[in-house]
Amino acid sequence: MTAAAPAALPATAITAAPTIAPACAPSAPTVAFTLNGRPVALAAPPDRRLLALLREDLGLVGAKPGCGVGRCGACMVWLDDEPVNACLVMAWQLDGRRVTTVEGLADDPRAAPVREALARHGAVQCGYCSAGLVVGLTWLHGQADVPDRDAAAAQLCGHLCRCTGYGGLQRTLDALFAPPAPA
Amino acid sequence: MHDPVDLLTHDALLRTAEPRPDADAKLRGDPGYLTDRLRPGQLHGAILGSPWPHARILAIDTRAAAALPGVAAVVTAADIPGQARYGLRVVDRPVLCHAVVRCVGDPVAAVAAETPELAQRALALIDVRYEALPLVDDAEAALAPGAAPLHPGGNLLHQGHHARGDAAAAAAACVHWVEAEYFSPMQMHAFLETEGGVVEPDGQGGFWIGFGGHNPERDRQVLAAMLALPPERLRVVGTPVGGSFGGKDELTVQPIALLLAWKAGRAVRLHLARPQSVDLGVKRHAMRVRMRSGCDASGRLRCHTVDILADTGAYATHGPEVLDAAIEHAAGPYAWDALAVDGRLAYTNNGIAGAMRGFGAVQVQFALERQIDALARAGGWDPADFRRRNLLPPDAPGPLGQVVAPFDGPRQALAVAAAHPLWRGPRRGVDAAGRWRWGVGLALIHRSDGFGRGGPNASRLVLALAADGRIELRAGFTELGQNLLGTMLCLMQRWLGCAAADARPVLGDSALTPDSGPVAASRATTLVHRALAEHAGPWRDAVLQAAAIQLNVDAATLRLGPGGVCDADGRLRLAYAALAAALGEARPVHTIDLPPEQTPSEVDAAHYVFGACAALARVAVDGWTGALRVEQLLLVPALGPVASPMGLLGQMEGGALIGQGLATTEDLSPRGGRYPARNLDGYLIPTLADAPRCEVVAVQDLPAGDRVGPRGAGEISVNIAVPAIANAVAEAIGLAATRLPIAPDTVLDHLEALERST
Repeated sequence: MTAAAPAALPATAITAAPTIAPACAPSAPTVAFTLNGRPVALAAPPDRRLLALLREDLGLVGAKPGCGVGRCGACMVWLDDEPVNACLVMAWQLDGRRVTTVEGLADDPRAAPVREALARHGAVQCGYCSAGLVVGLTWLHGQADVPDRDAAAAQLCGHLCRCTGYGGLQRTLDALFAPPAPA
Repeated sequence: MHDPVDLLTHDALLRTAEPRPDADAKLRGDPGYLTDRLRPGQLHGAILGSPWPHARILAIDTRAAAALPGVAAVVTAADIPGQARYGLRVVDRPVLCHAVVRCVGDPVAAVAAETPELAQRALALIDVRYEALPLVDDAEAALAPGAAPLHPGGNLLHQGHHARGDAAAAAAACVHWVEAEYFSPMQMHAFLETEGGVVEPDGQGGFWIGFGGHNPERDRQVLAAMLALPPERLRVVGTPVGGSFGGKDELTVQPIALLLAWKAGRAVRLHLARPQSVDLGVKRHAMRVRMRSGCDASGRLRCHTVDILADTGAYATHGPEVLDAAIEHAAGPYAWDALAVDGRLAYTNNGIAGAMRGFGAVQVQFALERQIDALARAGGWDPADFRRRNLLPPDAPGPLGQVVAPFDGPRQALAVAAAHPLWRGPRRGVDAAGRWRWGVGLALIHRSDGFGRGGPNASRLVLALAADGRIELRAGFTELGQNLLGTMLCLMQRWLGCAAADARPVLGDSALTPDSGPVAASRATTLVHRALAEHAGPWRDAVLQAAAIQLNVDAATLRLGPGGVCDADGRLRLAYAALAAALGEARPVHTIDLPPEQTPSEVDAAHYVFGACAALARVAVDGWTGALRVEQLLLVPALGPVASPMGLLGQMEGGALIGQGLATTEDLSPRGGRYPARNLDGYLIPTLADAPRCEVVAVQDLPAGDRVGPRGAGEISVNIAVPAIANAVAEAIGLAATRLPIAPDTVLDHLEALERST
């Protein structure tokens, strides 16, 4: 038994849904960026997270709120041409930038072989990490200087998956990337 | 003795490259998760949880919150018109606490507001006055005289005892003894989709309720009782689910969301942020397991004494069944002359423990397989031979003396593992630099399928020809990621002669699917198999009869085929769609009632069906940091015919990594009633870099006359991975681990002690 807590405890609110930032106040500044190739402009507080903008304001649910702290990779999108976790990007950072989500990769020929490999090799179970993985892996696979298999694997540790044990992802990498050159 | 004859190798599993029906939608980001059901006009729900692990509620004042413009509803326990508590066997969990809070995060009030920001502001305006109660943060202390009781009946939630044999005689025969106290901590499910969903009024006084779960029909009954409504007024949808691992089996936030929607008369969306999900969600039970095990000079197991103390936290949920499973699995697939197992389950203020994949057995199997390995080592026997010589025969009674389905899986799985090059080669070594020492460990387990005797083992499914000509198999189970949809498609093609495109599994919707019982306890595949195996014949007869009338031919000249009813030469005669159109409302609908497959022995909670698994793990230990690196895993499940090859592979690989997490890094032991981590940056689940290369070889044999069919694959890989890794560490550096995870500090202390002694 440990010591009792002090009597007459104050009330404390436990934070719910920090990934879902406050909805836009009427006075919020306008942020304008390119989303999946189309210009968008909307009023948003400067600290509203990109993940909330996408899901709550723009109705794109492909990016998933898994942790809200940039650890799990389920909300990965491209900002300009770099993969980022949408939960860590704020509205003030978006002006004039290009955002590409998994929805924007629907008809992108670079994503098709990635989706096909992940599906074929058993890398999809509950699927909550899958869209983020498609975004991250399509970026890696599309690099002009394509990494080898092990270098690609090292860059995918920001994608957590609790279902598959990563066996399907290992096989996907074997299929998509060249083996590392012998030392 | 005979060798296993029917093996599916890893390559054979992969060669099927069986498509997964939901993969494409998931890879495109929108397979219809219930937490993605964002609609205009929804209110945003938020929950006020207790900041204290144990306190009395003196007063709750919600007036200021309710007066805030944009707040549509504030609820407390006082608003609940019907049953204010829920639970499975023990009804002890308040929807909202009104008198006492028993863990951090225990819900006290909730609000629904126009925006999430307003909901948060409203929560901050709720004034709750608490008075501290003594913190009970240790299971032993909870059961000591004078401990503060969490519930009116005291802190002993459940206990069990099983003993047989002449303990004194068995002990007298023992030459080698191993005795240890093991500890397995709380483990987080870490499903990526946190608890959430939507409640929508249906405009007629009822509600549509969509939250990921395991058993929409059971949820419907409980939710209806809370609102004192007839269950028909509620429609509960529980699929698809973004991961569960048992953590969404019991109700989570559904009652609170429903109460908010009911009070506000509007749709409410509620989706927990990760920290609150960690606070509110159940965890794997922490267990302290003492074992004393002995064998005679010839290496025959004689005497086994087990004492289990499990911490269920604030509420019962599945706790009693977890303890029962621990007791039942404490003896393993081995023959003991004498056995005595005692178990106790205590309430504490350490969060809430409940169902988690591997269910009750993981903790004792770690302990048992360490004991067995240590006994083999003590007597100088090969660990595989030692196990093989001590296995129960295939027709032996179960661990509690009950009648069980005959099964030879443990022997077959062990034989495959022992013949593997990984076991036949060197079992320990050190790298050239002397930094990494590696070892190969073996483990063998059996584990139960389905619920114990007295549990909800019956199931109902429906097989029907839909209006569009699709053959529907309807079940109240849910798709959690385990590929139930794909497994159903595989089995429907196999048993009903149709093509995948003719078949449509329908899951997890109380308006569309029957009460199948929970998707849990590794049971769904077995039940789908049984339903089809037993009813494919009547289905075929009904469809062929109906087609024969339409075609004006003898039904004996027809058979079921891809696309529709075919003639003897396989030519399509009548498409299923055409048959459905012709039959109209007379389309065949078969309700399939599966009676419980349970032991006839009158032993409460005893199981009838067991599967088995053997494993080899090669683990390297870093002498600099004490970290473990699992390099290679061989898993040999013996579960009967493989229903879905890729499904089996995924279950084996995925479960093993959850077990690996428990063995290597995952530890959520509360301190002062608080979890040490509330997000995935502080609680470390394995990443791609931690994943070993995994090889799966499936033993498909079942004893002649087996009526059960495929055993479930959902859990057993979690169970086996933990002891296989622990035994590999023992082989590598001689560390007899007693505490999970096997932490770097423990490893380094051991290595330093080794150095001092040499």
